[in-house]
Amino acid sequence: MIRPRQHATIAGVAMILAVVLFSLLYPLFPGYDPYAQHLASAFTRPFTDGHYPLGTDSLGRDLASRLALAGRITLGLVLVIVVVNALIGMAIGTVSGYFRGVTDNVLMGVADVQLAVPMTLVIMAVSAIRGPSTVLMATILGVTFWVGYARVARSVALGLSGRDFVIAPKLLGARSGWVMREHVVGHVTAPVLILATADLGNVLIMISSFDYLGLGVQPPTPSWGLMITDGQKYLRQAPYLTIVPAVALLLVIGGTLLASRRFTDEGQGLRRVRRARRGALAKEVAA
Amino acid sequence: MAVYLLRRFAQAVITVFAVISLAFLLGRLTGSPAASLLPETASAADIAALNHELGFDKPPLTQYLDYLTGILSGDFGDSYQQTGTSSMSLVLQRLPASLQLGVTGFAIGLALAFAVVLVIHLSGRWSLRGVALGLGAARLAVPDFLFGLLLVLVFSVTLGWLPSLAGADPLAIVMPAVTIATAQFVVYSRLLDNSLVAESSQDYVRTAYARGERRSSVLLRDVLPNALLPVLTISGITLGTLLGGLVIVENVFAWPGLGQLMLDAVFNRDFPVVQSGLVVIATIFVIVNFGIDVLYGVIDPRARVR
Repeated sequence: MIRPRQHATIAGVAMILAVVLFSLLYPLFPGYDPYAQHLASAFTRPFTDGHYPLGTDSLGRDLASRLALAGRITLGLVLVIVVVNALIGMAIGTVSGYFRGVTDNVLMGVADVQLAVPMTLVIMAVSAIRGPSTVLMATILGVTFWVGYARVARSVALGLSGRDFVIAPKLLGARSGWVMREHVVGHVTAPVLILATADLGNVLIMISSFDYLGLGVQPPTPSWGLMITDGQKYLRQAPYLTIVPAVALLLVIGGTLLASRRFTDEGQGLRRVRRARRGALAKEVAA
Repeated sequence: MAVYLLRRFAQAVITVFAVISLAFLLGRLTGSPAASLLPETASAADIAALNHELGFDKPPLTQYLDYLTGILSGDFGDSYQQTGTSSMSLVLQRLPASLQLGVTGFAIGLALAFAVVLVIHLSGRWSLRGVALGLGAARLAVPDFLFGLLLVLVFSVTLGWLPSLAGADPLAIVMPAVTIATAQFVVYSRLLDNSLVAESSQDYVRTAYARGERRSSVLLRDVLPNALLPVLTISGITLGTLLGGLVIVENVFAWPGLGQLMLDAVFNRDFPVVQSGLVVIATIFVIVNFGIDVLYGVIDPRARVR
């Protein structure tokens, strides 16, 4: 039985799935070639030519093929970055909440500093020295986006640190690493996974923005952000060059937002207030 | 209060110093730029000569001290590309355009967020709240660069009402400012709304209502000042997203600001310009956060003791 609040989740998952399946399956079609240039058929509009279902770009390259390849590259990067950050955040947060005290203060202090540093500027600074590249962007984003996960993991670990099943093995002489692995990490996983789902869209926005600026994936490899940079040059003559990758991008970002809606704070604040009021009233009546 | 301000000021100075040192680390210890600046045919002697000219053949500590004394005397190094031009002067030339765009967008977004959220909470029309937060979520789903391009597509390509690129037309600021303002609106409307909702469940609010006070007086006199504190705290952090967004928006609309200058410098491997830009942005960051700390001390007496 589907409850009304699940409609958003299902719609969101469907949107993401549509784009993912397209990216994975389109290469199986005979017309797939993201790099071949057909200058004679440059600027073919979408849905007008059977050979090029989504049209061609300024060099006559098949837009559908490029969209699919760019999708695999962009979404693959998103996945790697989210997973690595979730793992780093989980480790740091668990340690921080488990040991508390000085360790906690130091680690969370680092997290606060990290949060205040604008990633755009860091990537620009390092790109100025090393030259922009996909690896550089992925590495920097891969190790600088863990604060949210660390905070969630920490709050869970902090809540567990006084429970019997954590204290008892400590008294029996178990090492901290073992206690954390056996008894704490399992409880941390679920909330971290929820946050990771919600974060997919955010990371996709960041990656595409860096690609768009030219600080991420480098041509001729396609990415959705780069396809939009390309399209911007022909915004007047061929707006579809911008719109096609934009639709893919918006479907995935919108999909993750919808799918993670019921887990995130959206609209829950008010319910919290009403519940608190009811609770307070009930307590008064009971007294 | 004086001690509080002094301590905050000292922290601010230390932060700027840390950023300046970090910029040095990034610039010098990752190797000499000579190889990427000279053509591939350059001989080893050419590279050594350029290294000597740029001071890269000295010991790192000497380089660092040279760099610090240079900064204290106002010398941030010359641009690699426009030789003889101080990188800092290039940056400062572009700063006003960035400030104009950033401050306009921020002010509009902030004012709109406060107006909308306060009207909703004063009138108690929670259906409006759903609409406002829903629109915010929709804006959040569109990356800044794409939102800007969609504006261009609608208002200059299709309707022809606004110029798509920065130029002599004073209307050119409308679309970049709207892009920034809407992004800031989302941030601050959510923050303020969350904060008001959380604060409204406090006991003192119930007591105030029990005394028979009107909603408007409870909300504006009792709840709002308390609700402002978390908003203020987080605004110091979200400043980073504003600055990052500025780089993107400037590039979408060819706005002749600091962000565009720095991005061009990245592609030209003109590190001194990027470095000076970083120092200027860090300084702005620290000044704003210092201002926030001062405001915090004014609003909340407890902060002065801590």
